[in-house]
Amino acid sequence: MKTPNQILTLLLCFGLLTGCGGSSEDASSQEPAPDNTAEVQAYYAAHPDFFSFKTLADLPTDLVWQDGSELPDIGSPDAKKGGTQYGSLQDFPRTLRTVGPDSNGSFRPMILDYTTLQLAHRHPDDFKFHPGTAKAWAVDEANKTIYVKLNPEARWSDDVPVTTDDFMFMFFFYQSDYIVAPWYNNWYGTQYTNITKFDEHTFSITIPEAKPDMDSRVLGLRGLPQHFFKELGDDYVERYQWRFAPTTGPYVVRDEDIRKGRSIALTRLKDWWARDNKFWRNRYNADRIQMTVIRETPKVFEAFRRGDIDQFGLNLAEYWYEKLPDDDPDVQNGYIHKSVFYNQRPRPTYGLWINTSKPHLDNLDVRVGIHHATNWELVIDRFFRGDFARLQTSSDGYGEFSHPILKARTFDIDEALAAFARAGFQERGPDGILTNDQGQRLSFTLTTGYESLKDVLTILKEEAAKAGLELRLEVLDGTAAWKKVQEKKHDMQFSALSVSLEMYPRFWETYHSDNAYDDAFLDDGSVNPERQVKTQTNNMEMLAIYEMDQMIDAYRASSNKREMIDLAHRMTQLHHDHASWVPGFFQPFYRLGHWRWVRYPEFFNHRHSSSAGQYFVHWIDTDLKQQTRDAMSSDQVFEPQLQVFDQFKSDP
Amino acid sequence: MLSLNPQTKKKLKRFRAIKRGYYSFVILCGLLIVGLFGELLVNNRALLVRYQGELYFPTYTEFHPGTDFGLNYSYETNYRELQARFEQEGGSDWVLMPLVPYGPYENHTTGQVFRPEPPSFEHAHYLGTDTTSRDILARLFYGTRIALFFSIAFMVAVYCIGIVIGCAMGYFGGIFDLLFQRLIEIWSNIPFLYMVIIVFSVIPSTFSIPTRIAILLTVLVLFSWTGMTYYMRTETYKEKARDYIASARVVGASNSRIIFHHVLPNVLSTLVTFMPFTMVSAITSITALDFLGFGLPPPTPSLGELLKQGTATLRTAPWIVTAAFGTLVILLTLVTFIGEAIRESFDPRKFTVYR
Repeated sequence: MKTPNQILTLLLCFGLLTGCGGSSEDASSQEPAPDNTAEVQAYYAAHPDFFSFKTLADLPTDLVWQDGSELPDIGSPDAKKGGTQYGSLQDFPRTLRTVGPDSNGSFRPMILDYTTLQLAHRHPDDFKFHPGTAKAWAVDEANKTIYVKLNPEARWSDDVPVTTDDFMFMFFFYQSDYIVAPWYNNWYGTQYTNITKFDEHTFSITIPEAKPDMDSRVLGLRGLPQHFFKELGDDYVERYQWRFAPTTGPYVVRDEDIRKGRSIALTRLKDWWARDNKFWRNRYNADRIQMTVIRETPKVFEAFRRGDIDQFGLNLAEYWYEKLPDDDPDVQNGYIHKSVFYNQRPRPTYGLWINTSKPHLDNLDVRVGIHHATNWELVIDRFFRGDFARLQTSSDGYGEFSHPILKARTFDIDEALAAFARAGFQERGPDGILTNDQGQRLSFTLTTGYESLKDVLTILKEEAAKAGLELRLEVLDGTAAWKKVQEKKHDMQFSALSVSLEMYPRFWETYHSDNAYDDAFLDDGSVNPERQVKTQTNNMEMLAIYEMDQMIDAYRASSNKREMIDLAHRMTQLHHDHASWVPGFFQPFYRLGHWRWVRYPEFFNHRHSSSAGQYFVHWIDTDLKQQTRDAMSSDQVFEPQLQVFDQFKSDP
Repeated sequence: MLSLNPQTKKKLKRFRAIKRGYYSFVILCGLLIVGLFGELLVNNRALLVRYQGELYFPTYTEFHPGTDFGLNYSYETNYRELQARFEQEGGSDWVLMPLVPYGPYENHTTGQVFRPEPPSFEHAHYLGTDTTSRDILARLFYGTRIALFFSIAFMVAVYCIGIVIGCAMGYFGGIFDLLFQRLIEIWSNIPFLYMVIIVFSVIPSTFSIPTRIAILLTVLVLFSWTGMTYYMRTETYKEKARDYIASARVVGASNSRIIFHHVLPNVLSTLVTFMPFTMVSAITSITALDFLGFGLPPPTPSLGELLKQGTATLRTAPWIVTAAFGTLVILLTLVTFIGEAIRESFDPRKFTVYR
């Protein structure tokens, strides 16, 4: 038998095991480093259609070059450089690679998305592009080609200049099997058709279809330091596991700052090449960003309360209202500031994804009944305390592309019962759950990987029982839940797909029959009786409607914005009528608590920001920190700061 | 089979004389009995409803839709509201609610939002509510009940396997013993926690909650019976070498008769001594697993889940952790007291230094 002590030991071992993964030294670095230059050149030569070489004389002369210089500055000119920002990580990153196995972790944005430069970036207020490593770019719509001039000043963090070769190499890298990343192989192999080098700082990239936002396909690219990846080969995964790649951004990870399993730090480059650049000069202000592993959120919060970490996201009502209420002494004394910022951006699709290939769930009436039997209003009013709002469709927050009037079905027991009755579920069993005349219960499994939101589901479950619907909750580990859903083994699942700042919603990934079945339809549009379920795709509703496919294909091929908007509305309507996705909630803002020494611009942040830290417009005021520390020990108080920034709040 | 011989009677008498253990035993038995009829004490279904001259006993029957009592909905009647309504109308109809009128799954808030509320006699939330406004007493009660019955089932299963294999190893010895010892060594080195996680990740959720609890029990038992065999094996070895076994064999007793009639009664004291501690370990395991999120599926009430909630809301809702921790301490103390008393009363040496 296991004594409590043994169990404790087991738990400790478990903790240790997960804590110290991958601490092996890179033994291969003792051998002479391989050099793949010849291989890369041979690859270019073998794919002449993809990799072309021309001279500046070949550059079209009628191009209209843009450089985004008319856009406003980002951040505040008041920002001061310096100081150390303290934060936390839930888990130590499993690798410092940004591609390949285990790389898609919560730490990656810190060394990729948020801190490195693309060719150009969407302006966080304006949606237009402002320059990153590119100096100027031009769109040739007829030839589906984007021309790019690199900023000659752009440098990798090891002081090597950024050149066209780094972008050509990027395609070699992402198309190679060495990186063990099929998604990248597919994306960079199919979504781009050519890169042409004109000189060291000028190149063009061609994509297969012209789109209204075709510039974003190319301008969102980040080159890769070819000189660093010379050793790319079969052992890429191990060789580059703990090597920080040179970056075009302001922060680097130094070897001495990697304390595996415990903490990691980013250090600001004092002579960063873009430090005086219009769109970058007021950002990335902290000299050092120190992140310590703290596994549990309550402990992170305690660390924040002690001032060990500087900021804490207070999105959950429990934290905003109870754990750090407005009348908390630290808030009232002005030591900790509380800020709410309303943003505008596409909303993650929190909702119930119904697998329409499962028995009973293939019945429209059952699905409509489920819509009416899920009480999101109660969840929003009571659990989220009215702070969140109901999603109306699966593509909210895309401006004109979002359906203007469509509303989600509301909780209504009578409507639900009527819909279930149409599907044959009329009698309530001894426990109040509906049954049909074959004695089958109206009962489905609801899977989720969101442990932190399981309370939402318990509320939905209790309410659904009133409408005679039983939801069996299955709260799994995040990875396990995702795997189950990707295998299409779920009945219903609660989750959200994160969405990036894009002009228009994507439909193909989630609603095209290509992602539900192999050969879903015969040529005449009728259902293929021999179709097989397709796994590992994001069509988690198993939605296969011939009409939808037609519209998606037209939408993907279209370069006409009006036509695309019209198609988007029709597809959203069709999706609504199909009732295979129950819209959940969204959070129209983010809010946080931050110590007084963390300063934000007067307007707090930019319109499209998804979190306070995303654009690094804040700064650490070391003088204020000292002043606050002194004030706390001498009981001196400041004006409390409870600020709501609703300049971008849209009407409900 | 195991009739009480004078020796055992004497031991039981000694057990009764150890007051602390004896009363703990009585309290625990009381708890188990109360647990069996828990639905009558802690429930959101009424004990008794009198409506239009008829009496209803909703506790153990099929659900009564609101329409049964003249309400306008077809889902399960909310008996608390019904009670308030009848009182307001002042007619001859009435509702008798249990002592704690809440179920373990219901979100019942006295305000506008779901949040932990402190203990309140006015609303009959005697221990307050948890983060989604569920009654803590109701969840504790049913959580404890599950833990107790779980641990008893665990104990019985572990003992059955442990005794059979342990006795057989000790009694038959030789190759059989050698083989099983190695098997057990290998088996007990399989990391138990990983196994639980792996097994739980492959169990289809279509199984009902009782089935899933049964599977959890099976997994726990599978990885816990080995410890018991060591004690049984040595004890049986010891007894086997004694003269009375030899004489029994000479008389022509069969193996099963020797094991069950001669060996087993004599090793009983070892067994009984371990029983309470096995229970303690089962309760701790299930609580620990729940705490880690690998235990009972939500929204099953459990001590571990409450503890987890409690540690996350230490500052804002201390009543959650107090209630869960208090219950755990009381439960484990009771069982430990019983264990000590049993050990002492079954100890053949009445006066030892080890007291």
